[in-house]
Amino acid sequence: MLTSVPKFLAHTAERLPDKVAIVSAQRSVTFQQLHQEALATAEALSELGIQAGDRVGVCMEKTVDQISVLLGILFANAVLVPILPRLKSANIQHIIANSGMAAMITDSERLKEVADFSSMTRLVIGHGELDVNWPNLPYLRRFVQARTRFDRIPNDSAAIIYSSGSTGRPKGILISHRNLADGADIVAEYLGTCEEDRIGCVLSFNFDYGLNQIWQTVRKGATLVLHDLAFPNDFFALIAKERITAVPVMPVIITKMFDKRLKLDLRAHDLSTVRYVCSTGGRLSTDMIADVKGAFPTARIFSMFGLTEAFRSTYLDPAKLDSRPTSVGKAIPDCQVLVLDEKGDECPPNVVGELVHRGATVTKGYWQDPENTAKVFRSHPRFPGETLVYSGDRVYRDEEGLLYFVARADDMIKTKGFRVSPTEVESEVVRHPEIVDAVAFAIPNIAVGEDVGCAYTTVSGRPLAEPVLVQYLKEALPSHMVPVHLLHFDSFPITGNAGKLDRKTIKQAAFERLGLSSTSEASPRAGA
Amino acid sequence: MRDEIAVLTDYVRKESGFKGTLDPDADLLEENILDSFSIIQLVVFVQERFGVELDAEDLTRANLGSLSKIVALIDKRRAGANS
Repeated sequence: MLTSVPKFLAHTAERLPDKVAIVSAQRSVTFQQLHQEALATAEALSELGIQAGDRVGVCMEKTVDQISVLLGILFANAVLVPILPRLKSANIQHIIANSGMAAMITDSERLKEVADFSSMTRLVIGHGELDVNWPNLPYLRRFVQARTRFDRIPNDSAAIIYSSGSTGRPKGILISHRNLADGADIVAEYLGTCEEDRIGCVLSFNFDYGLNQIWQTVRKGATLVLHDLAFPNDFFALIAKERITAVPVMPVIITKMFDKRLKLDLRAHDLSTVRYVCSTGGRLSTDMIADVKGAFPTARIFSMFGLTEAFRSTYLDPAKLDSRPTSVGKAIPDCQVLVLDEKGDECPPNVVGELVHRGATVTKGYWQDPENTAKVFRSHPRFPGETLVYSGDRVYRDEEGLLYFVARADDMIKTKGFRVSPTEVESEVVRHPEIVDAVAFAIPNIAVGEDVGCAYTTVSGRPLAEPVLVQYLKEALPSHMVPVHLLHFDSFPITGNAGKLDRKTIKQAAFERLGLSSTSEASPRAGA
Repeated sequence: MRDEIAVLTDYVRKESGFKGTLDPDADLLEENILDSFSIIQLVVFVQERFGVELDAEDLTRANLGSLSKIVALIDKRRAGANS
């Protein structure tokens, strides 16, 4: 049974040893080479003292070495913890401490940034030059005997992915080997990913969607072509040169690919090999759909939806994209999506309720956080002995059974593919000595999902010079968290009791000043 | 030429909060000086500020990856416009 990513790779390496698995500008590897590198990485990690169940962080740029490291951690029976390289050190510190990270694997170019963490966890170089102070995996791989030590059962933990919550620090979502394997099988099934596919991967491997491209590749024996998207023409040239058949994107990537401020000459490249484009992480606008269709007229376009706690919940049949562009579609294979009211009963069509997910991709819960786990990972009397994910997302179903997203329960801001916690933005903004209070919120901008907006009050009552304030915030926050709109208020209204800031009124006032209508109410009635 | 490098350096510092010495030959993306959003922003700025129009074939990382490459491309486009 192929119930884990290590088993996928061992199987494919035997079946297609000489087929190219990963292509990058620097180097390419076959499945046999990738398997050997992953085994050798696991062996080197174990000789460095990494034991089964240890959490191992990966803070690396997208390279073939990064993939060897990610797979090597799984082969070492350890638990993979992806870390976004652009995170600020306070967040990385939190992830190291919260996960109890035994080692963090990084690039030699990134050492300067992460050297401070060497007192908290062991630093290991996964890609780049030798440095006498730190073990270097590509170097160590040459001296170990590659052999299989993988002995996990499907229920064992494979990864912890940190995702921002609406309050406090990012929460770790604990994912089993079976979750990863099922995620690959399910997505490959509805997308039809197969051995002939060549996936053009601009996604990073720091979150579930990007990682899933690796798992699908080793499951199906496809080929993964790595690319860092900056200039769209480079990506279109790569698609033509590498004869890419599959393009997984996000709305923000589509915006980048078809940036109207840049000249694009799509006719200069043969893009006819692209068979499907899939997107998740936000709604596709009609402009985005038109752009993708214009570039890839014969490709099927999949709009997908989900949250990391259950990896993926729904996808829209490409044939319905024109007639139902705002729908998130139906449940993915082997999973079921329920729309429940407050009593836990199924809502009738066109009544808004909570999206509740059951099936193969339900993860194990939040890492060492029973309180939050109990809120989201719950049972339902109709399904005894089973754990379902109560997403908090408000959705409804139409008569056809297609699902529509209405709103999130939390006030998270989704921007450029990141989940940004208003609390995290506010706590940095109020650190400015002149600022008294701050309220951060989402401002709709379909090009990037949402923009971060922030209202603030000052000691003097006068507004701060925006460029200076932006400069100040850029030093404290990762770029995707820096507010795009900063609005000075003379004072903030307070809610009746407990002297709390009246966030709703503040947000409304901010929207008015920006000339936006306040959060539009969806037409369907709210569930009972 | 020197002036243009100075203008671009200034812009990059302001946009990215980058503090170290900025080598005109440094690859802006590889060295993590700019991210993929801000380098496009820089290219838009370059076209407006220096009044050059860049064609589809110009808009590649090979042509625009560092400040010196950007200046070389500006010069080339200006020379082309004058001839």
